[in-house]
Amino acid sequence: MKSKKLSEQIIKTFKSNGFVLSEPDVLLDSEYIIQRSGENFRRSMLTFEDEEGKVMCLRPDLTVASCIKFLETKSKSKIYYSGQAYRRKNKKGSDLVNDQLGIEILGSKNQLQDEFKIIKTILRSAEKIKSKKIQIKVGDISLFKRLINSLDMPERWKLRLIRHFWRPSYFEELLDRLDKNSDIDSVTFDIDKKRFYEMKNMEQDKIIAGRSVSEILKRFDKKIKDPRSFTEGKKIARIIKSFLKINCKLSQLDTSLLKFIKDNNLKQNIFKEFKSIQNLKRLNKEVIFITNFGRNIEYYTGIVFEIYSGQKEIARGGRYDDLLKSLGAKKNIPAVGAAINLNNI
Amino acid sequence: MKNFITIGLPSKGRLKEKAIAFFDKNDLKVLQSKKERNYFSTIQNRSNVKIIYLHAKEIIQRLGDGTLDIGISGLDLLNESGKNLQEKISIKQKLDFGNANLVVAVPDDWIDVQTIADLEEVAFDIRSKRNTRLRVATKYPNLTNSFLISKGVTQYKIISSLGATETYPFIGSSEIITDITSTGKTLEDNSLRVLKDGLILKSTACLFVAKKKAAKLQPFLNSLR
Repeated sequence: MKSKKLSEQIIKTFKSNGFVLSEPDVLLDSEYIIQRSGENFRRSMLTFEDEEGKVMCLRPDLTVASCIKFLETKSKSKIYYSGQAYRRKNKKGSDLVNDQLGIEILGSKNQLQDEFKIIKTILRSAEKIKSKKIQIKVGDISLFKRLINSLDMPERWKLRLIRHFWRPSYFEELLDRLDKNSDIDSVTFDIDKKRFYEMKNMEQDKIIAGRSVSEILKRFDKKIKDPRSFTEGKKIARIIKSFLKINCKLSQLDTSLLKFIKDNNLKQNIFKEFKSIQNLKRLNKEVIFITNFGRNIEYYTGIVFEIYSGQKEIARGGRYDDLLKSLGAKKNIPAVGAAINLNNI
Repeated sequence: MKNFITIGLPSKGRLKEKAIAFFDKNDLKVLQSKKERNYFSTIQNRSNVKIIYLHAKEIIQRLGDGTLDIGISGLDLLNESGKNLQEKISIKQKLDFGNANLVVAVPDDWIDVQTIADLEEVAFDIRSKRNTRLRVATKYPNLTNSFLISKGVTQYKIISSLGATETYPFIGSSEIITDITSTGKTLEDNSLRVLKDGLILKSTACLFVAKKKAAKLQPFLNSLR
C-alpha cells in the first residue's frame, strides 16, 4: 500500500501543475501499432484474437496508448496517466505488468518551455518522495543529427547512421563498415548494369513485386552516382566515436563542445542555437551531459533525460516529435513527456 | 518399460530414405512394415526400440512433449520452434544430409537491391512514400524476425505462408520472401535472387535427443557413430 500512497502524492503534484488525467484504452488494435511501428514492437506485445478475428493487444506502453487516445478523441493535450502497461518478458526478471505513472505535453507549442515544465514537474514529485541527492543525466539526439549532417559523406550513409542511432550494437557495426570502407559490392555490378539498360526499355510503370520499374531504376541510378566508397570513412568514424564519448557537467557543456569542434576541425556553427540542454541551468541541480545517451527508445527525437536519486533511476523522459505522426496524425505534432519509475521508489 | 526407446523419423521423401540409411550404417536395420502406409516400424534384433514415422515438424513437437526420445529432423525446424521447446531438445549430432539454407530472396529485377543494407533502405522508402510496410512472406517467421531485426531492418511486416512462397511477390501477396533452399533452383526458376548477405541459417538434418531422457539413452546413443 506504500506505493499507492506514493503514487497519490505524485499525482497530486501532476494535477497542481496543470496536468489532466488521460485514461487510454487497455486494448489496442495490434495491427494498427505494427503497421506503424514495425515488427520489432510485436515481440513485446501480448496479443490475442477477438471474436471477429481481429488481433488485439494489451497496451504495451502508456505513452503510445495516450497518443492513440489523443488522436482519436482530441483529448486535452497536457495530460498525466496512471496505470498498467503489459509487455512480454524479453529477459528473465523483467515484469509482465508494469505500473506506469507519467506526464505528457502533446502538441507542445513552446518547446523549450514545455521541456522545462515536464522536467520541473517530475523533479518536484521526485523530491517530495525521495530525500537522497538528486542528479539528472541528459542527452539530445538532435545534436547527433546536426553532427552527422555537417559531415562530408554520402547522403545514404547519413540517413543510415541517423536511423540506427538508437540501436547501439548495430550502429557499432555500421561504424566499423564505415571505417573499413566495405559497403562496396562491385562483383554483381556489371551484370546489374546490363540489366539496367534492358529495363530502361521496359514499360516504366510496370510493377515488380510492389515497386515500379522507374522506382527501381531511379534508385539504382542514385546508388551509382552516390559514391559507395569514400576516402574519409575512417576519419568520420573516428569523429563520431569521439563525439559519443563526451560526458561532462552542464557547466562545462560549452567548453566541451567547442573543444570537440576544434579538435576535429569541424564547422564552428554546427551546435549553434542549441538551447534544450543549456536551458536546464535554470534548475540549479547537478546535471550531467552525455552524448551517448537515450539510445534504447526509438521514438525520442530531441532532449532525453533520466533522474537519479542516489544510484537509482527514478524517472526518465524526453522529446518525441515523430511519434504522433507515425501513429496516424496528419501533420507533425511535437510532444514531450516523462514517466516515474515506481519500482525504484 | 524403462528401457524402451521411441525414435521419430521423417515420414517421406529423401529425408526418410537418408534417415533409414543412417541407422543402417550403424548396423541398425530398420524393418519395413509389409503394409506400405503403416507409420510404425522396428529395428532388427532390438526389441526395445520402436520407430514412428512423422512429419519433420511434428518430430520436434513430440520430442518436446516426451512422446519421442530420439528423432531425426531439420535444424531449421528446431531453431524456428518456440523457446520452451528448444530448451527441451539437444542436438546430439549434425548429419551429412538434408543440407539447405534459409535465405532472404528478392525479385531478380530489383537490381538496386543486392544487400540487406539496400533492403533496409527500400523498406524505409516504402514506409515513407506509401505509409505501408515491406511485406516479407515466409514459413519461418521467428528466424526471419530475429535475422532482419539484428540487421537493422525494422520497417517490414511478416506474411505467414504455408507453401509456394516463391509466388508471393508476383501475385501481390508480399514484396520479398525468405525460404529454405538446397540448390537454389526453385528460387531461380521463379525469378528470385538471394541477397549477398541474406543467409539466415545453414540448416542440416540432425539427430535430436529429448534432454530429459538423455541419461537412459546414453548406451544406445554411444553405439551410434
